[in-house]
Amino acid sequence: MSEGIKRRDFLKVLGVSGAGAGLVGCSTDQVEKLIPYVTPPEEITPGVATWYSTVCGECPAACGVWVRTREGRAVKVEGNPHHPVSGGALCARGHASLQGLYNPDRLEGPVRRGEDGEFQPIAWDEAEALLSQHVQDAGSDFVFVTRKEGPALAGLIESVVESVGGSRVEYEALSEAPLREATRMAFGQDAVPTFRFEEADLIFSFGADFLETWLSPVEHARGFARSTGIDEAHEKARFVFLSPRLSLTGQNADEWVPLTAGSEGVVALAIAHALVQRGADGGPYSDLIEAYDAQAAANEAGIPAETIEELADAFQAASAPLAVGPGVAGQGANATATNLAVLILNAVAGSVGSTLHVTRSDLAAPATPYRELADVISRMAEGQVPAMVLHNVNPAYSLPPESGFRQALGQVGFSVAITPHLDETAALCDLVLPDAHTLESWGDSNPRPELWALRQPVMQPVPHFDSRSAGDVLVRLAGRLGEDLGAETFHDYLRNRWSDLHAELGSPGGSFDAFWREALRVGVVEVDAAPAQATAMQTPDRALTFDAPELEGDGMALVVYPSSRFGDGRGANKPWLQELPDPVTKLAWHSWVEIHPETAEELGVRRGDMVRVASPHGELEVPVYTYPGIRADTVAIAMGEGHENYGRYANGNGVNPMVLLPATVEEPSGTLAHLSVRVNLEPTGRRYSMASIEGSDQQYDRPIAPAVQLEELREGNIEEAGGYPTRQELQAIGGFVPITTEAEPQDFPLEGARYGDYEDSGSTPRWAMAIDLDKCTGCSACVTACQSENNVAFVGKDQLAMGRALQWIRLERYYEQIDSSQPGPVDIRFLPMLCQHCGNAPCEPVCPVYAAYHTPDGLNAQVYNRCVGTRYCANNCPYKVRVFNWYRFSEVPEPLNWQYNPDVTVRTEGIMEKCSFCVQRIRKSENQATLEGRTIGSNEVVPACQQSCPAEAIVFGNIRDPESRVYQVSNNDRTYRVLDVLINTQPAINYLRKVTFHPVESIHV
Amino acid sequence: MKKPWYIAMVAALAALGSLAFLQGQTVDEDVDTSDAAQVNIGPEGQPIAFPHNRHAGDLQLDCQFCHFSAERSSSAGIPPVATCMGCHTFVAGTERQEEVAKLRGFWERGEAIPWNRIYKVSDHVSFPHMRHVSAGLECQECHGPVEEIGVIQEVQQPLTMGWCLNCHIEQGATRDCTACHY
Repeated sequence: MSEGIKRRDFLKVLGVSGAGAGLVGCSTDQVEKLIPYVTPPEEITPGVATWYSTVCGECPAACGVWVRTREGRAVKVEGNPHHPVSGGALCARGHASLQGLYNPDRLEGPVRRGEDGEFQPIAWDEAEALLSQHVQDAGSDFVFVTRKEGPALAGLIESVVESVGGSRVEYEALSEAPLREATRMAFGQDAVPTFRFEEADLIFSFGADFLETWLSPVEHARGFARSTGIDEAHEKARFVFLSPRLSLTGQNADEWVPLTAGSEGVVALAIAHALVQRGADGGPYSDLIEAYDAQAAANEAGIPAETIEELADAFQAASAPLAVGPGVAGQGANATATNLAVLILNAVAGSVGSTLHVTRSDLAAPATPYRELADVISRMAEGQVPAMVLHNVNPAYSLPPESGFRQALGQVGFSVAITPHLDETAALCDLVLPDAHTLESWGDSNPRPELWALRQPVMQPVPHFDSRSAGDVLVRLAGRLGEDLGAETFHDYLRNRWSDLHAELGSPGGSFDAFWREALRVGVVEVDAAPAQATAMQTPDRALTFDAPELEGDGMALVVYPSSRFGDGRGANKPWLQELPDPVTKLAWHSWVEIHPETAEELGVRRGDMVRVASPHGELEVPVYTYPGIRADTVAIAMGEGHENYGRYANGNGVNPMVLLPATVEEPSGTLAHLSVRVNLEPTGRRYSMASIEGSDQQYDRPIAPAVQLEELREGNIEEAGGYPTRQELQAIGGFVPITTEAEPQDFPLEGARYGDYEDSGSTPRWAMAIDLDKCTGCSACVTACQSENNVAFVGKDQLAMGRALQWIRLERYYEQIDSSQPGPVDIRFLPMLCQHCGNAPCEPVCPVYAAYHTPDGLNAQVYNRCVGTRYCANNCPYKVRVFNWYRFSEVPEPLNWQYNPDVTVRTEGIMEKCSFCVQRIRKSENQATLEGRTIGSNEVVPACQQSCPAEAIVFGNIRDPESRVYQVSNNDRTYRVLDVLINTQPAINYLRKVTFHPVESIHV
Repeated sequence: MKKPWYIAMVAALAALGSLAFLQGQTVDEDVDTSDAAQVNIGPEGQPIAFPHNRHAGDLQLDCQFCHFSAERSSSAGIPPVATCMGCHTFVAGTERQEEVAKLRGFWERGEAIPWNRIYKVSDHVSFPHMRHVSAGLECQECHGPVEEIGVIQEVQQPLTMGWCLNCHIEQGATRDCTACHY
């Protein structure tokens, strides 16, 4: 926008007028201002969204995203359907990047530590001069620590560092360095393999949480759901999880092999051994494999030897098996060996080249492992580092205190943090330069050799914060250091690099300008890079120990796992992520320690009791979450919480489990070993008020989330097997006598249902949804997507603990079958519960003011301005999907309110709210259709949850149209409607029941 | 069907266009509207005394000439200063040259004009201008005879929900709550 405009005021006004520039006679004493542009930007029409494609910066997977902006302000992040990584979907962390952009705790400007030890504001020019002076003086002792960045920024950092002869260290707390090292050893290629879950028909995960944080979760989830979700031919892939703890990924397994922590490698080798015995070729690893027989491995893993033989049989029988693992949580002192063992298993089974591709991709594997940072820390401690820059890394939080990082940082002559907000590390530095958020910055990504994408600023920098992007700061720094980059800004630098890339690629798309514009528009460039692919295994160049590592101390093995919500902790100051119930435990805003119920009984504690967890390296106090999905000899704590200095939403919530760990370097990869200690638990006698959204993890024989065994489904016995009769309905209001009907999904609501006050003309669409529970992974991306789209407020821990969470989708999770004592089937059901938009809705007749009513197009509407807050509707809702706004939760600090979607009313105190089926998107499509002189398409409206779902489990549309996707998906033997058979609610959401390999218990009604 | 639709659309676009202008117009009831000097910046006045009658009446400018987004957006749009300057770079005005001078001042300083808002619907109402334009509604239906009014003094219609609904019923348009409230 042009100079001199009060952007904030302008946006405020247009935001409002976008929501409804119309006419109402309400008068107010307050005069609002209308601030037009001086010169309008060409691409902006007030009231119409403008989309920009860019690259998500929340984890190294680098999903391509589209950002919806309104009047120059980012309001929603969605996956870019053209981008092969995101495939149009996005995880909860990606959605919450908006709360990083508008985070009220971002730095307002550069600060320098003054004489008194307090931070003082400093001018940018002065700060940059100071930075270059110290970098120059430090010369070859200068150290630059950064996270995994895109190629352009990484290249720029490299040349800045080289110009003074310093060193660059890449640090990722969630590091896949062992996988990278194992791949190098096995295939002679410095690479992280690509895993094609979509093509697999049998998946073994040795603990990798590939649906949550491992490498590229969104892409994995899509592939996983496509292979394990049942298809029309009634085929589906099987998934076996081998790990001491069921992560969310593990909860999606068909079978669980609860092996002891650290024994993944020997079990993988024993399976490979069994395969070789069955005639597979062990290649250069034959001798190694020979040494690991099933019995020995079984003894070490604490499982029966037959299990290993059975797993080998299954792996052999599968046409496209895939083994992955172990992931960060399982990285012990043998992490590289374990990764190598899993690669060997894949190679022996012939998966390399089919489901596993060894192509160069470096995702979460930093260029330099933790070992190099450890070296830097010792140099720092000795006072040999006169100047260092820490860019977007937070080792003071994410490293174990024993690493000595905090103390060593004090010995650095001049430490500079480049970060959008103050964190534990920046708070210890001498100079803090506010970095622009990734949504305000230029950049690029190259997640795979054939895949390039540009990151572009989606809006002008948020004016509350005087930030500069690290790229720009570094380009100027290079200039001051005498380096000629041929660029004034990072944008120029990036263009130069891409110009070279364009030439290298043989000038696709003609001129560079056209290529650049197209890359920005589409958001991805797919090039014809035939990657050198290794398939032949190499002889190992060094001996490794595969056996489970000795864990230090006594007591129970401690698993420290990356949080699916916060990753390594960098997402912790985003209230959406804090408020998002953890997909496994359904707890929010705090930490917990997962222990098996039997262990809890032995300790004499129950859920919510505070315990002291002590390792040889530290201790902490944390409440107990009794979890049947963990071995009785193991406990687990998630990373990501326990911040002291990260912002108002993160500080003081929970604990940081890194304090329990030693700073052990795993060899040969050089990563930090996560699995390394045993801990003792001691009850403190105190209770903790846990903030959970969960009523119960059991269904108590109610028909909420039924399942069907695959064999029964194939034989068409779905009604007898694993469920209640599908085609029965109660008739009319209040009648509780079941009668059989022949109704098809599109026939609902049935005649006689209380279908609002409207004549059902049959000419309007009937909006309905289908959710395939065989695909849903419970990842909860839909919850945050909905929160972002619909201005759903967050309420904080205390209110959430009182059951006042406002999220419109509740991801329910029921334990049906789960046994940590022996390998066997595991059956955990996920069900996204949202307003069912009942055709015969119990909430509607009880509203005294007609705020809840039925629309002609099948929506159960909630009119906020009519609602007087009696809460009768919520009391009468059998699904508990109506939420009441008890306070002014929507009043959030500036500029967090900038995120609000101007198309949706911001609700205040005293209002009942619930899922609206994204009615604003329906109306927008209707408006568009009318302008274009056509009727609205049956698949045209995509609500936020469907748009976001990485598993493609949700389909929305007009169920009256037999050509619509929602009709076609719903028209399935597995279709049922939750509780419908009991209370005749005739919901508009058709769930497709989960399909299991094992027999399931019937639910009797 | 087709023809009146188009004519009506143009008219409605114009009317809707004027809506946004009207949004930017207010003046004290007692004020002699021909005397621009009495129009002040402040809660009661407008930064520039913009005569709608001159532009939409005498000069027959289409409402959408300035309120450019009424036919394709929920928002009719407040014209950017650049739009005004499209003419007023050359046209110095006839009767109220000091007002045009004010406009040029904003342009030269690169400042936006802080219009006071007259027409406003509550935040819980979604009013899609383009639907009403495309349905053939005249801007004047809601915004009054803008082309005759010098400086718009007040909202010309009740703008209550009942008033909206009356028209919706007469025209056979939707009466569904979620047409406007979501």
